[in-house]
Amino acid sequence: MGSSAKTAAGPATGRKKISGAAKGYLILFLLVFAAWAVFKIITPHNFGSPANLLSYFQSGLLAATGAIGFYFVMVMGMFDFSIGANIVLSAIVGCVFANRFGMGYAGLIVGALVTGTIVGFCNGFFYTKLRIPSMIVTTGLALIYESLANYVAGGNEQTLPSNMRWFGSMAGSIVLAAIAFVVAYVLLKYTKLGTYTYAIGSNEYVAKNMGINCDKYKLIAFMVSGAFFGAEAVLSISYGSSMVAVTGMSSMSRNFVPTMGCFFGLAFKKYGIPLQAIIIGEFFVNIIFYGFIALGAPTAIQDVITGLALLVIITLTTKARKGEIVK
Amino acid sequence: MSNEVRLEVQDVSKTFGITKAVQHVSEKFYKGEIHALIGENGSGKSTLTNMLTGIYTKDSGKFILDGVEVNAKNQVDANNHGIAIIVQELGTLDGLTVADNIFLGHEDLFVKHGIKNTGAMNRKANELLKQYGFDRIKAADYVDDYNFEDRKLVEIVKSTYFKPKVLVVDETTTALSQEGREELYKVMNQVRDYGGTVIFISHDLPEVLEKSDRITILRDGVYIGCVKSSDVTENDLKRLMVGREVTGDYYRADYGEPVSKEVTLSVKNVTVPGKIMDVSFDLHKGEILGFGGLSESGMHEVGKAIFGASFDRTGTVTLADGTQINDIPTAIRHSVAYTSKDRDNESVVMNQSIGDNIVLPSLDDLGIGPLKIQSDKKLKAFAEKYAKELSVKMVDTNQFVSELSGGNKQKVVLARWVGKDSDIVVLDSPTRGIDIKVKQDIYQLMNEMRKSGKSIIMISEELMELIGMCDRIIIMKDGKISGELERSRDLSENDLIASMV
Repeated sequence: MGSSAKTAAGPATGRKKISGAAKGYLILFLLVFAAWAVFKIITPHNFGSPANLLSYFQSGLLAATGAIGFYFVMVMGMFDFSIGANIVLSAIVGCVFANRFGMGYAGLIVGALVTGTIVGFCNGFFYTKLRIPSMIVTTGLALIYESLANYVAGGNEQTLPSNMRWFGSMAGSIVLAAIAFVVAYVLLKYTKLGTYTYAIGSNEYVAKNMGINCDKYKLIAFMVSGAFFGAEAVLSISYGSSMVAVTGMSSMSRNFVPTMGCFFGLAFKKYGIPLQAIIIGEFFVNIIFYGFIALGAPTAIQDVITGLALLVIITLTTKARKGEIVK
Repeated sequence: MSNEVRLEVQDVSKTFGITKAVQHVSEKFYKGEIHALIGENGSGKSTLTNMLTGIYTKDSGKFILDGVEVNAKNQVDANNHGIAIIVQELGTLDGLTVADNIFLGHEDLFVKHGIKNTGAMNRKANELLKQYGFDRIKAADYVDDYNFEDRKLVEIVKSTYFKPKVLVVDETTTALSQEGREELYKVMNQVRDYGGTVIFISHDLPEVLEKSDRITILRDGVYIGCVKSSDVTENDLKRLMVGREVTGDYYRADYGEPVSKEVTLSVKNVTVPGKIMDVSFDLHKGEILGFGGLSESGMHEVGKAIFGASFDRTGTVTLADGTQINDIPTAIRHSVAYTSKDRDNESVVMNQSIGDNIVLPSLDDLGIGPLKIQSDKKLKAFAEKYAKELSVKMVDTNQFVSELSGGNKQKVVLARWVGKDSDIVVLDSPTRGIDIKVKQDIYQLMNEMRKSGKSIIMISEELMELIGMCDRIIIMKDGKISGELERSRDLSENDLIASMV
């Protein structure tokens, strides 16, 4: 094949792919190390001990659990503004099932996961049926989910009894996050859903011509995402012990961290480690958060620095090809 | 070729809005034949095969395959009926592996209890790639890691590994280098040899005559006739396609006309990392300067470099008045125009009207007063004037460019720069995928422009048009200039090829 054989980038060999993943891990670990080192130097006494790091990691797992599900939605080119509302509603329903209905852990997990899945189904259903951008659909629905959560909670803060907070501490949170990770990994790597997720994200028109029912798989992606946010809800209420059914779009503040983790996944997709990147990325985000707390920086400054960090990291990791149009 | 009918097209029709794309077309395709489908742009060739392969739905008529009616719902459904297509554009998907792409829509072959056996799928894909002689392409690699040409080879495997009864090759060869074409021809012959039918769509008439057994001609969506390749000449085909004798000059008829000594554009030591190296030449007033070479030779980058559209370019591009062209706005302000090879993505704005596309670079010139206020009337008159001058086939200038055929889109691009009255025009593959009639129009327009003192750079993979149109041809190889040939009656394709490879 003469000239065609001399591929500009050169076809990736098995060896190159391993080094691609290794490169991805290396970048991620360097980011983590750099963030840790900066804060450790500035505030050595109240930041960054091994015990602290474990605590940051645990905190990062909460958002990572939701983000790995959200990855399916984002790869397909859609978005979700109802993440926070989903977490609040799922956590409150789970808590009500566990506490008020006396169903214990089963109620907590089933209640939150099923609620999350139903929320995902609603997002996907209205998005595919109304044919309006996912951002708008999910923003509108977020208001409804918030109100629903408020109604279910009866306007009161829902507190999870102390004997039902196993998922809030180390062993429990790791177990649930690990299960979520394995499920997402299998779905992405070893099922048609994974292949179709990338196919739809790459070119929906071609995917349709290949007989893929794109609307069906988008709906499934939203449901998967919703279920994972349900799992995040379990971790969140277990970790924080209670949940307030906020209204007026206040739940949106919960959107940021999982979305940021998801950006890490998208950025490191090219290294073949998207889900791993989400987990390490969330750890990195938490190091920065806790670093600022250790510094005693005002919230406004924290937000400014975190926002800038997001832009810098995504710019560095998703360097567009020259001439590529970015929208 | 056997006498057994493989596929029968019966009275098939399709309309898009007011356009009758295919009108009551009927034809029989036999087992073991390569059957070409030719016609001008917009004649309905692709619409017909897209209906067969499930990309479009037909309005009426029947496709009968081996005696059974087929109504494919999509490409995979068509595959399941034994019908496959290789499309002109890229048909593989980023973010998926080579194996994922080959078996997209057919994953169930490797799925058990909902779990995909990736290992088995990769093994099967590697086996197929080896059978085709493409074993340097690896099943587990992401398809993004391969270039256009290799991805086309993946697509060839994807479309033919299941030994289709009917294989449609839709304008694929123009996108491939000679080596890529040879691979495709090999596969087409294999399909014919095992009794399959190849429906071969191409604008390259010598290729059509050489590779096909029979040729069906469509014009404006209507069936014109079917001829044996051995019974006709290229001119017969042109006449059948256009509906009349193709009269008048096709290429330029003049030879030995002196070219002005006046240099309008001087390119010195231009290098674009990884693309072209140390390229220098002068373009003269009223000259058509050709650039030829293999697709990856760097010649396409030369056009971008001149227009200030290359990245990290070094060296100089200087106009007669000393102006240095380093960016696109400077190029346009100083009467330099450029049409890209990638017409749909880099030249026309698909979701805008013909009028909007034509006036785009001339808005400053057409604006009134210091604020450059735009007048609808003036813009419309301008667009209509140049659309008419270029004979764009359209309802009116409000029609969207996305609704036009490839040839008419190219006319819109040219109308834009003719309207801008550019003195230096860089045309990259101006006749790519364009039928004979529009080609002739474009050649004549170039000749007129040349006569009126405009300077043209024509970059093309079609050697005959370079020989027919250019005063001088520069050949590129591996990013460098490897030869230069003057216009002459005796110049042959082999003279150019000698410097290309």
